[in-house]
Amino acid sequence: MVSTVQNTDVKQKDSDHAVVVAVASRAVFEPGGGDGVYAEGVAFPLLQALQKVNERLLEENSAESLLFDIVLITTDSQQQSSQLISSTKHYGLEVSRFCFSTEEDFIESLLKNNVQLFLSTDRNEVSQTSQKGVLSALLDEYTASCPSEQLRVLLCGDTVIRPDTNPTPASRQAAQSFSAQLGKMRQRFGMSDSPLSITLMTSCGGRDSCGGALQTLRSLGISADEAYCLAGAPQGPILSVLRPHFLLSDGFSGLED
Amino acid sequence: MSEMKPSDVATAEDSSEEQDWNAAKAFFDSLKSNKPRPPKPRFAVSIAVSSRTLFNMVAERKIYEEEGVEKYVAFQVEHENEPLKPGPAFPFVKALMNVNSRLRELYPDSEELFDIVLMTNNHAQVGVRLINSINHYDLTIERFCMTGGKSPIGYLEAYMTNLYLSKDSDKVTEAIEAGIAAATVFMPEKESELSDTQLRVAFDGDAVLFSDESEIIVKQHGLDTFFEHEKHFENQPLAQGPLKCFLEALGKLQRKFYSKNERLNCPIRTFLVTARSAASSGARVLKTLRSWGLEIDEALFLAGAPKGPLLQKIRPHIFFDDQMFHIEGAKDLGTIAAHVPYGIGQKYHKGKLIEQPAKKE
Repeated sequence: MVSTVQNTDVKQKDSDHAVVVAVASRAVFEPGGGDGVYAEGVAFPLLQALQKVNERLLEENSAESLLFDIVLITTDSQQQSSQLISSTKHYGLEVSRFCFSTEEDFIESLLKNNVQLFLSTDRNEVSQTSQKGVLSALLDEYTASCPSEQLRVLLCGDTVIRPDTNPTPASRQAAQSFSAQLGKMRQRFGMSDSPLSITLMTSCGGRDSCGGALQTLRSLGISADEAYCLAGAPQGPILSVLRPHFLLSDGFSGLED
Repeated sequence: MSEMKPSDVATAEDSSEEQDWNAAKAFFDSLKSNKPRPPKPRFAVSIAVSSRTLFNMVAERKIYEEEGVEKYVAFQVEHENEPLKPGPAFPFVKALMNVNSRLRELYPDSEELFDIVLMTNNHAQVGVRLINSINHYDLTIERFCMTGGKSPIGYLEAYMTNLYLSKDSDKVTEAIEAGIAAATVFMPEKESELSDTQLRVAFDGDAVLFSDESEIIVKQHGLDTFFEHEKHFENQPLAQGPLKCFLEALGKLQRKFYSKNERLNCPIRTFLVTARSAASSGARVLKTLRSWGLEIDEALFLAGAPKGPLLQKIRPHIFFDDQMFHIEGAKDLGTIAAHVPYGIGQKYHKGKLIEQPAKKE
């Protein structure tokens, strides 16, 4: 049984223009807060960064409708709905609504709510969701150490496709349209001091792969801020300096063609 | 295969490193071109060059400084199909590429090569012009980091960089403090004809290959004390300086040619150009190099004579020195000089203590 509850503390976004981002509640809150409130989870800096983007967008234009619409979604019955609502209000998080679902129906809930990006720390959830054509990205313990002042998104140009996550045409489309929205948001800010940073990384190909990917992104209206061409160098050390909040790879393999 | 880098990586990281490497190898092998595959970073000698050392961006830099970053990026994008002209590190990069061709001939399966990485804090949109320029000159640069304004130091470490060349002395100082060999490269006043078959690298001794311990004695106690000290400690090796490891990496590659009987035809030649004199303070330097197991092809002791004219004869692709006085002398006579901001020499100019200005915030 899926139920959706609006957060009355937060102004609702224009559903025609907002970018709906759903975050799994277990990524946002962890047990052990005390006083009937949960503790901060790994996705906290990410939420703060999303909020920062909204704040700055409204500073540029108080009538802006291209904003992040943040939804907190439960994917199992482990966390208490009332405690999730009270914790959200306690921390002043800009969550517009809560979707209370279970393992069986959370994907249905994502689709019903027009979610454009789903973020979770659970690899299986991310994989299942991708297969159903909803763009999703995995959060991990490194997400917790990312900055909260700037949202850093990494687009992977040519990652080797993992056997368990074959991108369907639908998920490729979802990735490109989400990124195009990000590109539009990015255009609202100047070169420096942007609350949103878009980074391109290609891991196998040489400079022409990365150069081609930059051009393709441009054609989608996305102006990347940073670009890294690894050509086989190990990704780990570079990622630990880059510190993106999340990576999108599904829609981008073959970008350089 | 011997490694150019220390190996202190855990096994789990090794296997994902292998995955990344194998994927790239497969990609390059599938290309129908003759393009050489970039070497495996762990075994390669990584040279990181900034965009302004690789290409001449003086006019563009002026736009950045006078009109700001937005106008600068717009200008670069507008001109992105016009290749940039070569910068001060360009001849050095071409010479590295030549050494790689020779190494590939002799050792077709080896990853012990120079790996040239473009390390710039330019915005990725400027990157398109940089890539187009690299294509225009057909340089073998397949790896790059365009950090969009952020400090490159973390990425230098991530790439296990053996040498970093930049025009920005702040970044170079930061790199040296992080233990990475680095220098600020200057464009010479006039062009020299450089060898296209042999990489020629010249080094100053004190505070470049060696620590500044003896330099301190000269500055604080004068030459006579210095000579006595060096004679007394002749058999005690000097401590290492910021560029010692780079000389070591060059030596490893040289030995690959020697073992294939190519000593006379070796495409790498190293020079020591020091103000020390052979008679009094030179012995300690040679003995130190020997104790480190390092060879230098030619050691030139100037006994205080100016370095400019001698460097003009040597024609190195790059000359490293810690004192701006020598850098200027070299530049004036057409040598590509690179300043190593290390040690006591930074506080002096032509033997006089510089008044330190308040540090910029």
